[in-house]
Amino acid sequence: MAMSRNDIIEKLTDVMKMAMPSEINEKALNENASLVNDLGLSSVGVLYVVIAIEEFFNIRFDDVGFADFKTVGDVVDYIEKKLEA
Amino acid sequence: MNEKFKKYTDEDTFSKIVDFPNITSMWAHCVSAYGDNIAIVDSESYTYNKLDKDVCGFRTVLKENAALPGSLIGILCPNSYGFVKAYLAAATFGTPAVLMPTHLDEMTVFGIASKFGMKAVVYDESLEEKVKVLREKNPAVALIPSSALSEEKTPAVPVPSEAPAAILFTGGTTGKSKGAKLSQRAVIAGTRNGCYGIKEIFEQRYLLVLPLTHVFGLIRNLMTSLYTGSALYICRNNKDMFRDVAVFKPTIMVLVPALAEMALNLSAQFGRNMWGPDLKTIICGAAPVAPYLVTEYDKLGVTLLPGYGLTESANLVSGNPEALNKPESVGLIYDGMEYKIVDGELWLKGINMMDGYVIPEDNDIAYEDGYFKTGDLVRIDDEGFLYITGRTKEIIVLPTGENVSPAELEVKFCAIDTVQDCLVFDDDNGRLVLEVLPRMTKIKASGIEDIYGHIKAEVDRINNTLPSFERINKLIIRDTDFVRTPAMKIARNLNGNVKK
Repeated sequence: MAMSRNDIIEKLTDVMKMAMPSEINEKALNENASLVNDLGLSSVGVLYVVIAIEEFFNIRFDDVGFADFKTVGDVVDYIEKKLEA
Repeated sequence: MNEKFKKYTDEDTFSKIVDFPNITSMWAHCVSAYGDNIAIVDSESYTYNKLDKDVCGFRTVLKENAALPGSLIGILCPNSYGFVKAYLAAATFGTPAVLMPTHLDEMTVFGIASKFGMKAVVYDESLEEKVKVLREKNPAVALIPSSALSEEKTPAVPVPSEAPAAILFTGGTTGKSKGAKLSQRAVIAGTRNGCYGIKEIFEQRYLLVLPLTHVFGLIRNLMTSLYTGSALYICRNNKDMFRDVAVFKPTIMVLVPALAEMALNLSAQFGRNMWGPDLKTIICGAAPVAPYLVTEYDKLGVTLLPGYGLTESANLVSGNPEALNKPESVGLIYDGMEYKIVDGELWLKGINMMDGYVIPEDNDIAYEDGYFKTGDLVRIDDEGFLYITGRTKEIIVLPTGENVSPAELEVKFCAIDTVQDCLVFDDDNGRLVLEVLPRMTKIKASGIEDIYGHIKAEVDRINNTLPSFERINKLIIRDTDFVRTPAMKIARNLNGNVKK
């Protein structure tokens, strides 16, 4: 079943909220937010997000590492492409 | 030998924990006792016999590259069968190995290899770029691909107990990166200590997720796994660790607290124990372990044992026996170690302590009265259990167990011409914070209006050159000067994160 961009963002938000430091305001979580510099993801936070995305969306980050993504929007784009493939 | 652990260790298990004078004799015992057991799984499975055959062949490769007993080599490999093979060959041939973290850049690899006088560097072919400068500028250092092998067998050497077995990098007590020299005796003591107080310790299944260049990965994970005839499954990419868990079904994990907590959170998010039903024990350390982890894992039927160790102590200083687990404590201090507490700071000496740092001057402030000053503030209860209460040293240990030298990072950020001074510290969430005093004369002369935006862009630029664990997560711009010492240095304990 096709998943809309909004559905992806909603699920991704659930994942990101678990991985972000507690004092980061959820409002900071938008498509333009930088994963490291705005959302404060630590290296383990990034790992959490990758594992959870793979599990939630049943996709694999193949030849691409999470460090290749700068913003939340980049991650959404990637998930969208993988789900379409 | 570790009599205090005897009452907490199964009798049969305790009798099997024996001492060896060096890694050569330990390895000979492993091959003799567990030859047909699986030793390593890295895409394919390697028995102890097969690993020994390859180790014998790799000693020949070392010999052919002039890395003879007494000389120093480097190992620049990710966690892999090649790393294990090269390390065991070197340790049983009297050619101590400098374990080089794979995030080092090519100039640092060249610098370390040249400065330490290495005869050879064993490298993984995926890191070819990292040895490029070394290849060009110092052709005297032989470069050996870790996949190299020889059919000709070269026997192990009875290396003296006091001879160096490995050199590992550490932030040390002052925050500057240093090479700690670990003797054969120290590595064996650290390896053996990992066996005490756990009933099911022999012939287990370990999943390796920590780097082998870190003492916790090398000693407690690899060496104790081999010592106990266990199988070590090498997880090549940590994002795949739970897929690997499903395949390999580990019974013991060696984890830093951040990874233990991450798995707990994933288990909560997905409604199942991510470690699978076979995991019984987690050895947790390299950073402060929250008692919460012990109690939460207990609910999953997993015993999480907090311990305490240092690179300088060949890993294990203390550990919790599973029969008497005190969640707030880092356990009982292992035998063979002398300690004293001076002004609250733990000082150590004993058989598993390093033989000093490679650069002699680094030792001057590290030792006093023959004791190594750990920089950790401690207390010990009536039963002998150790508690870490703080630290004196200027080194940040992240929840991942990675050491960050704030001083080294500050040098990089102070190089920004609009930064007058800065301070790096960790916040309550274990994230790195950079606090900056802007150089207002330069800012005004340059017509910069958005000071935060300008410095943030500069910090992001430098962040992108750093390993991910060293990147700044939060920036604070000051409008007044830092609190300073009489010598006008930033008073680290009076600025930034003053919780410590």
